Amino acid sequence: MASLLTSAPASATPIISLRGVKKAYHTPAGDFWALHGIDLEVYPGEFVGIIGKSGAGKTTLLNMISGIDALTEGEVLVNGVRVHDLDEDRLALWRGRTLGVITQNFLLMPTLTLLENVLLPMDFCGLWQGRKSAERAQELLRQVELEEHIHKLPAAISGGQQQRVAIARALANDPPILLADEPTGRLDSGTAEGILHIFERLVAAGKTIVMVTHDLSLERRFSRVVWMADGRLVANRQIALG
Amino acid sequence: MIRPRWRKVISDLVGNLGRSLLVVLSIAVGLFAIGILITNHRVIAEDMVTGYRAVNPANIMLVTTPFDDDLVERVKSVKGVRDALGVHRVSLRVQTRQGNWLPMDFNAIPDMNTQAINQVHLLEGVWPPDDKEVVVEQSKLSEIGAGMGDWITVELPSGKTRRLRIVGIVKDLTLGAAAGGGGFFLAAPQGYITPSTLPWLEQSEAWNTLYVTVEQGDDETAIRQVAQKVRREVEAQGVFIFSSAVRTSNNHPNRIYVDAVVGVLFVLGALVVFLSGFLITNTLNALLAQQMVQIGVMKLIGAQRWQVAGIYQVLILIYGVLALILALPLSARFSYVLLEYLANRINLQLQGFRIVPLAILVQVVLALAVPQGAALLPILHGVRVRIHEVISGIRPSEAVQTPHWIERLQKRFRALPRPLLISLRNTFRRTQRLILTLITLTLGGAIFIATFNTQAAIERYIRQLSRYFLADVNLTFEAPQRIQRVQNDLAQVPGVGHVEGWAYTRADLMGAGDEVLDTVQLIGVPIETTLVTPILREGRWLQSGDRNVLVVNERFRATLPNLRVGDTLHLRINGSEREWVVVGFLQLAGQNLGHLAYVPYPELSRQLGQSGRGLLFRVAADRSNLSLPEQEDLARQVDAFLKARGYHVTEARAGLSVLEKTAKGLDVLTNFLLILSGLAAIVGSIGLAGTMSLNVMERTREIGIMRAIGASDGTIRTLVIVEGVLIGLMSWVLASLAAFPISRLLSNVISQAIFNAPALFAYTPTGFLAWLGVVLVLSVIASLLPARTAVRLTIREVLAYE
Ligand SMILES: Nc1ncnc2c1ncn2[C@@H]1O[C@H](COP(=O)(O)OP(=O)(O)OP(=O)(O)O)[C@@H](O)[C@H]1O
Ligand SMILES: [Mg+2]
Repeated sequence: MASLLTSAPASATPIISLRGVKKAYHTPAGDFWALHGIDLEVYPGEFVGIIGKSGAGKTTLLNMISGIDALTEGEVLVNGVRVHDLDEDRLALWRGRTLGVITQNFLLMPTLTLLENVLLPMDFCGLWQGRKSAERAQELLRQVELEEHIHKLPAAISGGQQQRVAIARALANDPPILLADEPTGRLDSGTAEGILHIFERLVAAGKTIVMVTHDLSLERRFSRVVWMADGRLVANRQIALG
Repeated sequence: MIRPRWRKVISDLVGNLGRSLLVVLSIAVGLFAIGILITNHRVIAEDMVTGYRAVNPANIMLVTTPFDDDLVERVKSVKGVRDALGVHRVSLRVQTRQGNWLPMDFNAIPDMNTQAINQVHLLEGVWPPDDKEVVVEQSKLSEIGAGMGDWITVELPSGKTRRLRIVGIVKDLTLGAAAGGGGFFLAAPQGYITPSTLPWLEQSEAWNTLYVTVEQGDDETAIRQVAQKVRREVEAQGVFIFSSAVRTSNNHPNRIYVDAVVGVLFVLGALVVFLSGFLITNTLNALLAQQMVQIGVMKLIGAQRWQVAGIYQVLILIYGVLALILALPLSARFSYVLLEYLANRINLQLQGFRIVPLAILVQVVLALAVPQGAALLPILHGVRVRIHEVISGIRPSEAVQTPHWIERLQKRFRALPRPLLISLRNTFRRTQRLILTLITLTLGGAIFIATFNTQAAIERYIRQLSRYFLADVNLTFEAPQRIQRVQNDLAQVPGVGHVEGWAYTRADLMGAGDEVLDTVQLIGVPIETTLVTPILREGRWLQSGDRNVLVVNERFRATLPNLRVGDTLHLRINGSEREWVVVGFLQLAGQNLGHLAYVPYPELSRQLGQSGRGLLFRVAADRSNLSLPEQEDLARQVDAFLKARGYHVTEARAGLSVLEKTAKGLDVLTNFLLILSGLAAIVGSIGLAGTMSLNVMERTREIGIMRAIGASDGTIRTLVIVEGVLIGLMSWVLASLAAFPISRLLSNVISQAIFNAPALFAYTPTGFLAWLGVVLVLSVIASLLPARTAVRLTIREVLAYE
């Protein structure tokens, strides 16, 4: 049980580490605890899958790592940075350079072309280099096999293609870590397979990926699976899904 | 290569043309209105003064027995006098194109080339005329129905006629300046001739009118002092003064109309600045509300707050610049259309097209600074958006519960149609936005209704004025006639009913000592007259037993602000001064008409030594409600009949045409307000349409979701329309309420200028109903168009949107 949670080599330093992370949502009906004290370490080069039932707190957990929502208690260290100590603007800049975030509903800018969508993070994070950036964005889009479509608007391509643009955009600033929240949730299995394939290639190339899913069939594709239920990490799938 | 964030700005501008157009138009329409209001306000006030001063108007005008150049030279050397000019003015009957005879004033002026006082502007033809030719004043030309090159037939005292050719048309800004003439609108058509033409028209070559300018032409007290000296000098030469008037060099005869116009422009300008500010705030709020998800996404991928804010600031700056580019030239152009309209109608001389810096400044501030200011809060709010809420679609900070009263309504009236309930809920869900929208629509509507009300109030007043002009034909004789005889004679004219003879004279209104304040027109009416029912503001009308009593018009209050009912006035008639008691104040067509008072006929005719005689006759037809052509017909018959009988009639005029002439100044204001209410309607409509369309656009996603869960296009359309109409109706109710104080303010501004009292006031349902129509039609269109676009999008497109 313990070995499952710490399958990575003990010698390496974790790239992501959560200690005693608790999260309460304040609702009119009172506080709702979505995370009850999470301890988790992710090592460079891992492809971690977070699996749990709906409402388990998976998205909340990812939000704690990316810092897009405030935690209630505990500590999050990513790439050596205490995420929740940063002010909003520093956090945004840091996130833009360190994390690529991919969501279920793609979240592309509707009025920008695919190319411009991929270029946007470079602009915001001070990595804009004009022509060179455009070449890089084109290369990223080529890697996700969308080079013929780079001047189209998001509305003109399919959902699977949009998710690939979102991946290319997440890679724009060459961050070491990717966080993906059910990236295949709205895609058919064939298309989903394509996305997973890309992820595997990225892991092979040295990226660290944390991916949330409730698709049990993907279990074997991760280098490690973290099971979640009711705001806690649990030892195995029986507990998580039972 | 353009940075991607500026690409976003451009794509937002171009990618959603409909929305960009709405935003730009919403900003531009306010700028446009403001530009017009300020430009008009400035130019008209300035040009009235500069234009009038430039013609070197007379500060003192004396009408006298004949005098010669000797006297003019003597007056020139009176201390304080800058210049003096003797002219010969004579009123002669000319024939109109329709065949009527109308009095026309002929001004014989020496040294016309260098005419030093009361200069005219040549518009067409030549100045000065040769002997036996005439130059005419443009504003009254239509009354005689003649034009450049035409011949006009003049009737001479002997009954002979002469024909003069019109060789030039001029603009005379001093028209209506003389006291006792009834002002600009009642002034007769003017002709300008050489003094050597006088004998040919059976007139003496001596002067009978003296124009004087003084050193301190802007100081009324100084002018009065000089006038006193001039009068003494004139009288010392054995010349008798019939009437005298003074006027400062900046006091254009139609100043009160300019004052009214300027006051209205000021009030509306201030209101439209507010309206425009709200409209811009509202528009940008709606715009940014649509951008929340995109802002969240940008922050997610690393955008810092200032970067996001910068994108929207630049976007808004571009909207502002576009609006400015649109509004600046349009408002400058249209300003002058309106100015020229006014200038022609109230006899102003515009000093040419020019840029009004204040107008530009306010437009620039409204276009560039106000949008930035207005967008600041929504931008700050936007960049503070919580990313996780935006990307998950759960936004507790935005989710507002259905107000309790709607729930109660729902329980109470189970029969209420569901779409109405959903629309009600949608309408009230975002209270803040609703309030902002309502303020904008309310202001727009209130301004429209108020201008409309005010315009209608004046129109109604003009109709009331007919109570002074109940006679069908107004006759003026050259000399007083025996009333009994005229009545007997006229009884033979078919169609003539009741006939009254009135006495008329001009008197000097005396101040302290022998100072003459102004000229007063006294109208002696039989106490039992049925042809005048005055609009009384205070006191009473004439009653039997009255002797030396006056019912005075609004002008007296301007000259004597402390005048009350029961006070005594000193009037000098034909050299002898008597006391008259004010028993009532009436209201006529405005201060412009000069001092006018109704007095009992027996007393006035006795004092004039004309008992039993009348100079003015009022003829009522033997049936009521004659139309203008019928009245004119009767006037022609009466005129011809009297002429054949050997009477000398100066003028026989239809009652309605006198009314029309008297009310012309008010009419100009009416039309001016109508134009302004059109402007208000444009601002209000674009504001309404823009605001509502943006509200619906914002809900594109929601509409997509409703369709996704099975709502038919028809249902969605109903929902959106009901909601739009609901907001429209609420704004209409509020606008109707807000219109009351604004109408009151506008009416007061105009009344003060015209009547020197807050007198004009009325509400008419027309404005309220017109705006209701506009609101209903526009809310449906403005809601339906964007809803149709939303319905046409596929569900996937909608859900992917933003
Ligand atoms: N903003 C919020 N306010 C209140 N409660 C919330 C909020 N966001 C999430 N929750 C609650 O917290 C719990 C965890 O939510 P979370 O979105 O992390 O679950 P999840 O595991 O991602 O579920 P799913 O697989 O459905 O996405 C849920 O019970 C949810 O209802
Ligand atoms: Mg989730």
